[in-house]
Amino acid sequence: MKASRRSGWNSLLLGGLLATSPVWADDLASPRYHIQGFAAQGLIGSTNNRFFGDSRDAVSTEFTEAGLHGSWQPLDPLRLSGQVLYRRAGESDRDGLRLDYAQADWQFYQTDVTQFGLKLGKVKLPYGLYNETRDVPFTRPGILLPQSVYVDNSRDLLLAAPGIFLHGASVREYGATDFQLGWIRPNFDSESVEYVFLGNTRPGGLKGKGALGARLRWDTPTDTTLMLTYADAKGDYLPGSLDPLAAGEVRFRNWLASVQQRLDTLTLTAEYAEPRLDLRGFGALPDTHRVVQAVYLQGEWRFHPAWELMLRHDIFYRDKNDKNGLQFQAATGLPAHTMFARDWTLGLRWDATPSLMLRAEYHHVDGTGWLPGPDNPDFLSREQRWNMWLLQAAYRF
Amino acid sequence: MTHARFFFRQLVLLVLLASPLATSAGIIVHPSVEGRSISVTSLRNIYTQRQTLWPDRRPIVIFVLPDNHPVHEAFAKEKLGLYPYRLRQTWDRLSFSGMASTPIEVKDENEMRARVRATPGAIGYTSKDTGYEGIKTLRLE
Repeated sequence: MKASRRSGWNSLLLGGLLATSPVWADDLASPRYHIQGFAAQGLIGSTNNRFFGDSRDAVSTEFTEAGLHGSWQPLDPLRLSGQVLYRRAGESDRDGLRLDYAQADWQFYQTDVTQFGLKLGKVKLPYGLYNETRDVPFTRPGILLPQSVYVDNSRDLLLAAPGIFLHGASVREYGATDFQLGWIRPNFDSESVEYVFLGNTRPGGLKGKGALGARLRWDTPTDTTLMLTYADAKGDYLPGSLDPLAAGEVRFRNWLASVQQRLDTLTLTAEYAEPRLDLRGFGALPDTHRVVQAVYLQGEWRFHPAWELMLRHDIFYRDKNDKNGLQFQAATGLPAHTMFARDWTLGLRWDATPSLMLRAEYHHVDGTGWLPGPDNPDFLSREQRWNMWLLQAAYRF
Repeated sequence: MTHARFFFRQLVLLVLLASPLATSAGIIVHPSVEGRSISVTSLRNIYTQRQTLWPDRRPIVIFVLPDNHPVHEAFAKEKLGLYPYRLRQTWDRLSFSGMASTPIEVKDENEMRARVRATPGAIGYTSKDTGYEGIKTLRLE
């Protein structure tokens, strides 16, 4: 450390003297494009249930994330950006390489304190604090996001979708505010989303009809962030052959409130949501209206410039009016613990270099409410109490 | 270079370093940027990418040193009141979601000065408040 600092001073001072030499050409002006990317590999072990692969009493290597992100500004007010993503998450995500998003953002009104823009294409969806960059490991508070609010099971619905958003931002003496308001065609078409809405994979498929999304954010001068997200998405069920289900409709509505306080090296975060799920006209499935409850409290502490400790308590109830799942069990004969999950998480992050991050995380979970369905197809072999550890190495360039 | 010349240069540098000209870190901008000073709030809004245009509506181009560079650490903590990791989080969330460009990273102060000098609308920082030809130094208020 001492040696490197000294040589740093030397080159800095030498540089100061040599700065007048004309080696710098005028192509040093700001570039109009930028490429960046990341690659991460995880290891997962668990007791009693599986998470992202065959992790039960074993080690799953089936959690891989890699992304290549590019942006180009052909004109000052116009930014084109997109990301290609490779992701493998056990049986829950086997899609491999995909186009994550591709959008054009046109800032049609800009001053030094206010701006308005329109973004369209396959756009990133604003949802709470972490959703827009949920696949970039460096931007997450842990290896896994809190599963109550950011359920990986329904991630396809929240990621990105074709649509259009109006957004605006301003900075004033009371802090910075911004909003996003848009219409999209949501993506219901995935096995995991079918699990969430219809309890299992079905012969037919869900197709997104339309969705409204809005988010308001306020960053106060006291380093507090307050945020409110609203989403209302509808999808149609297209029955398959020999399908017991009729052509029904699903609807997802959600209010999500987020609070974050940053104090020196401490970051305290809480998010609360009550997603409402409606099923209508499925014939063999009764019409249902269910209110989910999701909340987590999280503390992150940078106790050293390169080290961070995270503690989180995450609570998920699949039915706010049947938190312990007993009514569900009585009605279906299926285990009550599939209706809730309470997760204590302890995580450690080490930024070994500015481009290499290593993480370790431990989960103690009571309940199987957000356990990935495709990794645990047999309802009756799922167990209520389970533990999980994860390791992840992430590299960026 | 010969040893003798190297030591002579070191000696010159020592004299320069000891002189009262060497003071605290300075905010540097391209000469086209208007004004002679900048407020702490503005500087913070610029470096957290909430303010993207100068008051004359020309785009701001942000230059930074690597996250673990001592001059960057000092600038982030003392001038912005933010730890380097918080700045990185803010930039990552904005850039990977397509809402802003990542600040341009330069490898050392030499390159910082050269790039700020060459880029209209540029802002950067150096470890010393010394004046440089073709670069404007802003007073922090």
